[in-house]
Amino acid sequence: MQHPALEVREVQAGYGPINVLWDVSAAARAGTTTTILGPNGAGKTTLLRAIMGLVKVRSGAIEIDGQPRTGNATWDMVRDGVILVPEGRLIFRDMTVEDNLLMGAYPARSRPRAASNLDDVYQLLPRLKERRRQLAGSLSGGEAQMVAIGRGLMEEPQIFLIDEPSLGLAPVVVDEIFAILRKQKELGRTIVLVEQNTHMALSLADHVYLMQSGRIILSRTAGEIDINHLHDLYFARETAT
Amino acid sequence: MQQRTIITIGFVVLFYGAVPAAFGSTDYVISSIVAALTIAGTAVAWALLGNLGGMVSFGHAAFFGVGAYVSALLTMNAGWPVFAAIIAGGAGASIASVAIMPALRLRGPYFALAVLAYAGIFRILATEMEGITRGAAGLLSIPRLPTILGFDLGTNIGSYYVILTIVLAAMAAYAWIRRSEIGFALLAMHETEDATRILGVPSTRLKAMMLVLSAFITGIVGAFNAHHISFLDPDYAFSGVWTVLPIVAAIFGGFRTVSGPFIGALAIYLLDQFVFKSLLPTGHQIILGAALGTMILLSPDGLVPLLGRGLGKKRHAAT
Repeated sequence: MQHPALEVREVQAGYGPINVLWDVSAAARAGTTTTILGPNGAGKTTLLRAIMGLVKVRSGAIEIDGQPRTGNATWDMVRDGVILVPEGRLIFRDMTVEDNLLMGAYPARSRPRAASNLDDVYQLLPRLKERRRQLAGSLSGGEAQMVAIGRGLMEEPQIFLIDEPSLGLAPVVVDEIFAILRKQKELGRTIVLVEQNTHMALSLADHVYLMQSGRIILSRTAGEIDINHLHDLYFARETAT
Repeated sequence: MQQRTIITIGFVVLFYGAVPAAFGSTDYVISSIVAALTIAGTAVAWALLGNLGGMVSFGHAAFFGVGAYVSALLTMNAGWPVFAAIIAGGAGASIASVAIMPALRLRGPYFALAVLAYAGIFRILATEMEGITRGAAGLLSIPRLPTILGFDLGTNIGSYYVILTIVLAAMAAYAWIRRSEIGFALLAMHETEDATRILGVPSTRLKAMMLVLSAFITGIVGAFNAHHISFLDPDYAFSGVWTVLPIVAAIFGGFRTVSGPFIGALAIYLLDQFVFKSLLPTGHQIILGAALGTMILLSPDGLVPLLGRGLGKKRHAAT
């Protein structure tokens, strides 16, 4: 059997004395979009941060293509092509849009192709090209999200982790962001998408996980999902079976 | 870019040609300029760590003193040639800086305090290790800078060329790093360190590199100074002056620019020596303090950005 592109097994992780993730197991297959849904505080962001080595994994395993990567430093994960678009975007507000994108070419792996990757990003996100000389801090929320996604693409992601791209955006802008992500999916990119916006996220998903209180409580392929059942679980009106 | 090249060439001609031609025969003036450049070298090193590394150090006297002692002892006890010993002094300061690396995890005032405490250790070591350093009695008759091609570098004017070259080399290294992708990443790190980490920037490693380099430059300057004045004791080598004056100079000149610490050091030290001291023989540092306070109010970014802004305005008015 082929290994999944990314797999976490029975991961426990947290901050200081507080444990957040309890035996979380999930897998993302190459070329598919895996969506992690769940309410605030379910541990979705912590899961992504644990994969990236930003949060210490206490037990369990993280594997890329079947190779152990537990406890790796963040830059080692980046070197392996695991790229995070963080929650709240975290762009460099005092730098221009173009410099923000070029920061994405910092890893030696993608640096030689920075110029051609920049052209590709501008082709995908023409609005950023118009604003390339503008300070990133002056952008709207949607444009800032585009910078964060573009910066991630500059890193040539093998596995693209995207944390709540719809956060704080107007519905029409959310549509725009998801159109960009859909294009990436169609190009065959491996995507792990964390969302609270169930409806949008399901429109993209091949496989869905639902998290609650630091645990995975549901794992289904997109075809098996019963949206009413999902909503019941999401709002904890019944327990998972 | 062209304008910058012209400024750089003018700068080099001024300092290698015009300054020695004008003041070379006045020992007092040239030795004051050498002292100012000694501050300038340390100020450049301090600003490199402060601006690129984002870390405020109150401990550069430690690197200065370690460089001085390593170089002096190598020439006196092991018979090293002076220039080789000066470079070893820089290396010694770099090695000493490794001891403070755990503090790189601290931020802002916590790092500053840790370095302050760290710096105190070396003064005590130099005082107590009497077998090697001769303790508080100090080192006398440290070999002076050598004569090369018939030119005695041990004279004030010779030392002037040596320290000027050291400082300009440090500034060139600083400018080069700042323009490199490492400098780019370091400056981005100030905004959100988390964001640079997820981009694969080994932030702690880069900060450590800046610390080692800053210590190296400071150690070289300290070593130069030991051979220039030919005397060392722990209180002098690790004096708080080597921490405070470079900070004042860097902030006065503009510590986010490459030339700011250099210009700030010359301005502050020479103003203090030749103007404030004659106005107010005792307590002339009061005027220095007032000048620094005024600068911070007038232009928090320092003298060099202020001058740049003035130029920019004039150019606007002309067009």
